[in-house]
Amino acid sequence: MSGSDTSWLGQSLPRHEDQRLLTGRGRFLADTARGCVHACFVRSTQAHARVRSVKTGSAAALPGVLAVLTAEDLGLDGAHLPMLHEPHPGFAEVTRFAMSDPRLPILASVRVHYVGQPIAVVVAESRHVAEDAAELVEVEYETLPPVLDPTAALAPDAPTLHAHLPTNEAARIEVGFGDVDEARRAAAVTVSDTLRIGRHGAVPLECRGVVARVDDRRDRVEVWTSTQIPHLVQQALCRVTGWARDEVRVAVPDVGGGFGTKANVYAEEVVVPVAARKLGRDIAWVEDRQEYLMSAAQGRDQVHHATLAVDANGRVLSWEDDFVVDVGASSLWTAGIIANTAIHLMGPYRVPAMRVTGRAAYTNKTIVAQYRGAGRPEACFALERCLDAAARRLGMSPEEIRRVNLLTADDLPYPRPIPYRDGVPISYDGRDYRACFDSCLEMLPRTVCDELRENYPEHDLGYGVATYMEATGRGPYETGRVRLLPSGRFEVATGAASAGQGHETTFAQVAADALRVSPDRIRVGNGDTDPVTYGVGTFASRSAVLAGSAVHLAATRLADRACGYAAMLLDTDAAGVVLGAGGFRADDGRVVDWTDLAAAFGPGGRLEGQPSLDELAQFRPQTVTWTMGVHAVVVGVHRDTGLTSVLRYAVAHEGGAEINPRIVEGQVIGGVAQGIGGALLEEFRYSPEGQPTSTTFADYLLPGMCEVPQIAVKHLYVPTAGNPIGVRGAGESGAIAAYAAIAAAVDDAVGGGDWRVTSVPIAPEQVRAAIARRSAAVAS
Amino acid sequence: MDHVSVRMTVNGVLVERQVPARTSLADFVRDELGLTGTHLGCEHGVCGACAVLVDGSSVRSCLMLAAQASGAEVTTVEGLPHSGRTARLRDAMSRHHGLQCGFCTSGFLITATELLTDADAVEAPDEGTVREVLSGNVCRCTGYQGIVRAVLEVAGGGATAPSGGEPAARGGGPGAAATAGQQR
Ligand code: FES
Ligand code: FES
Repeated sequence: MSGSDTSWLGQSLPRHEDQRLLTGRGRFLADTARGCVHACFVRSTQAHARVRSVKTGSAAALPGVLAVLTAEDLGLDGAHLPMLHEPHPGFAEVTRFAMSDPRLPILASVRVHYVGQPIAVVVAESRHVAEDAAELVEVEYETLPPVLDPTAALAPDAPTLHAHLPTNEAARIEVGFGDVDEARRAAAVTVSDTLRIGRHGAVPLECRGVVARVDDRRDRVEVWTSTQIPHLVQQALCRVTGWARDEVRVAVPDVGGGFGTKANVYAEEVVVPVAARKLGRDIAWVEDRQEYLMSAAQGRDQVHHATLAVDANGRVLSWEDDFVVDVGASSLWTAGIIANTAIHLMGPYRVPAMRVTGRAAYTNKTIVAQYRGAGRPEACFALERCLDAAARRLGMSPEEIRRVNLLTADDLPYPRPIPYRDGVPISYDGRDYRACFDSCLEMLPRTVCDELRENYPEHDLGYGVATYMEATGRGPYETGRVRLLPSGRFEVATGAASAGQGHETTFAQVAADALRVSPDRIRVGNGDTDPVTYGVGTFASRSAVLAGSAVHLAATRLADRACGYAAMLLDTDAAGVVLGAGGFRADDGRVVDWTDLAAAFGPGGRLEGQPSLDELAQFRPQTVTWTMGVHAVVVGVHRDTGLTSVLRYAVAHEGGAEINPRIVEGQVIGGVAQGIGGALLEEFRYSPEGQPTSTTFADYLLPGMCEVPQIAVKHLYVPTAGNPIGVRGAGESGAIAAYAAIAAAVDDAVGGGDWRVTSVPIAPEQVRAAIARRSAAVAS
Repeated sequence: MDHVSVRMTVNGVLVERQVPARTSLADFVRDELGLTGTHLGCEHGVCGACAVLVDGSSVRSCLMLAAQASGAEVTTVEGLPHSGRTARLRDAMSRHHGLQCGFCTSGFLITATELLTDADAVEAPDEGTVREVLSGNVCRCTGYQGIVRAVLEVAGGGATAPSGGEPAARGGGPGAAATAGQQR
């Protein structure tokens, strides 16, 4: 490809990363472990217990074992990870937000809070030996009764799980406006329900892993970790150990999926480098699946008590919700999850009065982090389920009640009387949400159900719709760096690590656009604290918005400065030089290109000794930008088994400008697939003793080829003025409304009477019972 | 620890090693031979990321011992041909965005190659067949759409089922097989 005067933005270029991934030459964490000794963690086998003793003698004596290390041995006694998010003080004040710090020890020595919690680490010559030795470590426990229900955990008489805290409350929030009680008096219909979203999570196909290599020459440790947030890992590691930033490099290899579970900082990411430095050995820890399903951060797990009041026309008068989030033993993201949930409860509707209270509770389940949507799917489920219930009571269709309440071009932009988490007053910056709704229905109207019915004689078919809002591109900032290489090519780096989102392709497109070169001249590194000192990371649908904008700013500045250098080479005035696809052109038609410029920096060149072309830019958005969307689905419920199949699926969303439309579409479709999993299949279950029972892929069911249908996506192009490239985030949107839409469709298929789906994953036995009740009613 | 001697042809090269008897074929190709394109997503036979061809048939290399493959002809993703159908499949996978993180990709390429080269297979498989054959491979990122389209394109099969309004042909489409999958 040569340079071009057309824009590189908005083109579905093939992905740069594909070539190596399709030939087996990707480099994932486990692929970089050569030459390392291996770590294996000794983990708690009890959900709640006092640790009486940890005996490491026989493990340490096993041939091939280098060390068995506890918190004390590593100098980590009492050390804990810092919280990863605190809302803006302005937001906290208005929402009476409060949270506690669970200070879960990095390695437990006094008390354990969940099965899978790390207690000690074995380092050995091979992974097999490390595993064998870990089994020889004897931990003596004094079992304590586990607390597994979040509501019970918040009861005044509940035993407190974290000794330094007065209660099990992890956080609380109150959001409200308007006079709810007054509004409710005018209601034609009021519906109340308890809605549950089960515990499930990211479960990327690649588990976690850390490789720490000791660099004695530079007196530092290099930490390779399968993470979405290398800079936050570095920050936390330095905070815990007291190491200076330049004593630690954190870098990211190819990452086999993240979805939030890897946008977390883990104890293992501290222990492995600390052990490596202590032993002077390069150490690899590669997690296995059972370990992941027991000990990596999980998600969702919320209960909502919701009440919606509408008038006789279906217009929302007031909306109340009181919810509880179960964050397990600890979450470094409690603030983000609870605040996201509360804010996104407003949906894309006219809601004149709202009263929301939320609490997060500690229990003896595995730790929690943000999982794709992070509170939004739960909020969406609560509101959309209530809208469906109200519609039914009024005898309206689900489509009609939404059309009545959706914001239109006349309403938007739509300010809300509360601030976002960044303290900035919320204003939905969309175009026409009702039009988006209509365009989704056009793709997949209810009538399709009737057309399909004869193809599925054993199924009851149903149709569901749901809408969502998503605040995307949260700050505070992200960094982009672009530099000209000696060959005339470019290297781009950002703080946003890729876990499959295609950053090598999209950020190259953004830079290429500003530099007026072909993207194949640009290489994009993955997250690394070396080229970019300060960064935040990939989560909250923020990479395209923030890192994309930062790359744009850096590349634009680089191009500006390059014009000055080109003018020197052309012996003319910078004002007379124009950068185009062919290079830098003077008024009189003479041209130098990027290769000439790069060469001129060499010894004896005309630019020798000049400051190099290497630009770093930070992008700080004023606030978030909002993506709105609509899901429609047709399901078939098998009459005998009660199992639900998703037959047709369509998504329309008001997205922004797109860097690479196929990549955006892929994000949406992948999100829907995960939503289908959460609605129908996936759940982390626990025994009454707090033992996790979903610890293999036979018990934790991921949606397969036959569970995910083709998904139609329509992108309504509504660029935002909130960033220089006009993009809105889309990484999480696919997952958000899937739960509500599928639940509505199952209701439509087999509901009627009093039963409706109030809990996901939808239990086939409940569906079977509903079918039986319906048949009985028909018979009588 | 008990060691055994294994000797097999991997990607056309004869290899011979002494390895602990419990070494899986996956660990053998990854750790002994440095062929890290074979990935481990579960190590208990469910995800398919570790698929390799043993004498032309796809197997889960996490479930097979290296010793069991002794004498066999093993092909990993690195050994798949760079011409013909496999090359077209790679190209189609990229164009249809059949991969995001790429962790599952080797397994899909192996399983799809088996489908595409299976002499007994139907001439031009339809979407239902492709989905069924590939249903033992998990992808957490893509929602499978691009993978299905890529395989169908190379297999010369019919177009994919509609996602929006148009009804599918009777029995075709994803819904038909879905219930079985859920009972897994
Ligand atoms: S790793 Fe072999 S099937 Fe999952
Ligand atoms: S592309 Fe990530 S698991 Fe398939």
